[in-house]
Amino acid sequence: MHNRPHRILLIARRDYLATIRTKAFIIGLVVAPLLFGGGFLGVALMVNKPDIKERRIAIIDATGVAAPAVIQAAQEQNAKDLFDKTTRRQMQPRYVFEALPPAADPKRQRLELSERVRHERLFAFVEIGPTALQAPAPAAQDDTPDAKDAKPAPVAAYTNAGGFDETSRWLSNAVNEGIRRVRLTQLGVDQSRLSGALAEVKVDRFGLVSRDPKTGEIHEASKKNEVAEFAVPFGIMLLLGMIVMVGSSPMLSAVTEDKAQRLVEMLLGLATPFELMMGKVLGALGTSLTSSAFYIVGGTLALYGMGLSGMVPFAVFPWFYAYLIADVVFLCSFAAALGAGCGSPQDAQQLAILLLAPVMIPYFLITFVMQQPNGAISTAMSLFPPFTPMIMLLRQAMPGGGVPAWQPWVGLLGVLAFTLVMVTAAARIFRVAILLQGKTPKMADLVRWAVRG
Amino acid sequence: MDAVQISHVTKTFGSVTAVDDLSLTVPEGSVYGFIGPNGSGKTTTMRMISSIFYPDRGDIRVFGRQMLGARSELIGYLPEERGLYKKMAVQPMLEFYGELRSGRKVTAEVESWLKRLDLTKWASQKVQTLSKGMSQKVQFIATVVPAPKLLILDEPFSGLDPVSADTIQSAILDLRRGGVTVILSTHDMQVAENMCDYICMIFRGKKVLDGTLASIQDRYGNDTIRVAAEGGARFLDGLPDVERVRDLGQVQELRMARGCDPQQVLRTLIERTRVTSFSIMKPSLHDIFVRIAGPEAGEEQVA
Repeated sequence: MHNRPHRILLIARRDYLATIRTKAFIIGLVVAPLLFGGGFLGVALMVNKPDIKERRIAIIDATGVAAPAVIQAAQEQNAKDLFDKTTRRQMQPRYVFEALPPAADPKRQRLELSERVRHERLFAFVEIGPTALQAPAPAAQDDTPDAKDAKPAPVAAYTNAGGFDETSRWLSNAVNEGIRRVRLTQLGVDQSRLSGALAEVKVDRFGLVSRDPKTGEIHEASKKNEVAEFAVPFGIMLLLGMIVMVGSSPMLSAVTEDKAQRLVEMLLGLATPFELMMGKVLGALGTSLTSSAFYIVGGTLALYGMGLSGMVPFAVFPWFYAYLIADVVFLCSFAAALGAGCGSPQDAQQLAILLLAPVMIPYFLITFVMQQPNGAISTAMSLFPPFTPMIMLLRQAMPGGGVPAWQPWVGLLGVLAFTLVMVTAAARIFRVAILLQGKTPKMADLVRWAVRG
Repeated sequence: MDAVQISHVTKTFGSVTAVDDLSLTVPEGSVYGFIGPNGSGKTTTMRMISSIFYPDRGDIRVFGRQMLGARSELIGYLPEERGLYKKMAVQPMLEFYGELRSGRKVTAEVESWLKRLDLTKWASQKVQTLSKGMSQKVQFIATVVPAPKLLILDEPFSGLDPVSADTIQSAILDLRRGGVTVILSTHDMQVAENMCDYICMIFRGKKVLDGTLASIQDRYGNDTIRVAAEGGARFLDGLPDVERVRDLGQVQELRMARGCDPQQVLRTLIERTRVTSFSIMKPSLHDIFVRIAGPEAGEEQVA
């Protein structure tokens, strides 16, 4: 086909300028990170605004000796965790306990306490059974979930709070600690010596020691920064996904609107369908590169300003841009083809989910990949072209991630080949579908056009 | 050299044959008009000449060259559907279209055309602020900038008021005088008769008429009487050897049967009413169109 680069560049320039001059683009530059990062920011803010309302907990102690120990352990734990050590702000609710002897009618006692919980005069109540102080016999220590569920636990906690309420875990620790102390006392063990012997040993994490190739001097390893280990790969993957989505998702509706407004036929008299599509794709790419430059430069300067220049992952920036270009070109071509096939903007909205998949699925896999960056599934997913940009970048950005050197190159080749195939298929669909009016092609039509043109 | 040569071109969309074994030539420097009912294949043919569609079979040459999907700065195409970037200002948009076609800056040509079509004061306005007539003039400029040798205009006068239509018509004829070949489609038979050197009628994807207006009319001979008479059409019922009466209001057109004597028609008419005008003539293009594509069509379809 007789495609001329100047036409592609002209269309790209027009679309690029038309986009970046809009208020929506400028506002989007600021709003997009808030939308994408807002959830995490929200969680961070919520962490600083904990529920610190006093919580009253009743303990029914059938052993007669466990309750005071449990309350003491709980109060010690509460005193330790109540305030943030740096800010001195209260970060946990204050727990207040009341010990109750078992009543003659346990059911009625449980009902009365449940009513108090329902009326919010009590947060929860704990029933320590008469066998709680007995250490389980070794033969009976069957920890399988079925065996655990079959036998009633010696301690029961009753609460109206949700399943993930932090109090349950907190209370469980306090009850265990209290009962353990009573057991140790009954065994005659000196607890002050035992707690020292069982104290946790802190382990510092370091990188690797290296040798200066010029001087031969051995450089000590630097201590690992756990924040950087998480924030840098997570942040750069989040940024890539955000820029790709912001850059490519408008393409679908833009092409559909051009088609609906009959703008396309005029342009097709001046440029081939391929030139038109690629012009639009490159325009969107220009927009994405502009956004990325804004965020990368802004982020780098911010980290320098905060004295965290060591966290800037300069080594992955070239990969970031290679993946960004491939991802935007592939997704925009795909969007243009889908947009050309849509009969109306409503049709386009229904198909938008297809464009989100290559970005959203890797987002769902972040935790898994970060836990096992070189596991078989992480490796396979990062070599699957639609997911390569996001997942391979995440693996590469993890300090000491240990990604074999060949994998990013193979991944990039796969992405480029995949992008080429997608652009070719999209151009075929675009050429056939863009002038269709009044008919929405079926998926089988799109596949046929993609294969045969 | 012929500006356009189309040889045995067929184009189908699914099970529909839009253009069926079409062959025609458009002489360079002429105004060539496509007529035909909606859906007859005119737009598809023009899109194929513009390389927007590719023929399934057959060959299309523009100035002797096969186009094979290429876009040429020699061709200016005005689609029937008007498509302009509504949020762009008029002049930058026209410069964009012109540069897209020619690969060079076309500021001077755009300014000249804006002045010629009295749109200079709208040059910096956004397209969405223009009236329909002005938008169509702008689209026309987008088609003729910088200087195509072949203009393909699909319904160029559709929806235009008479003043705007005259302006565009005058511009088209000026371009033709400058050597530009013009292919246009129209539903206005008067426009086709007045503007076109050659007329081609396409019906159900096939060419059914092709030639100059005179040569087309010659095929039908002087079988039409145009008459003006007191009492109008109500005195024309049951005239001998008259196949069809077309009432135009102040005048009526009568189509005579083959071998009919017009003098006999006149004598019968005078017996009925006072005749103020009576002329024997060749059928109008409108009448020919209706004979071919109207409800009573059938026997008239000639290749």
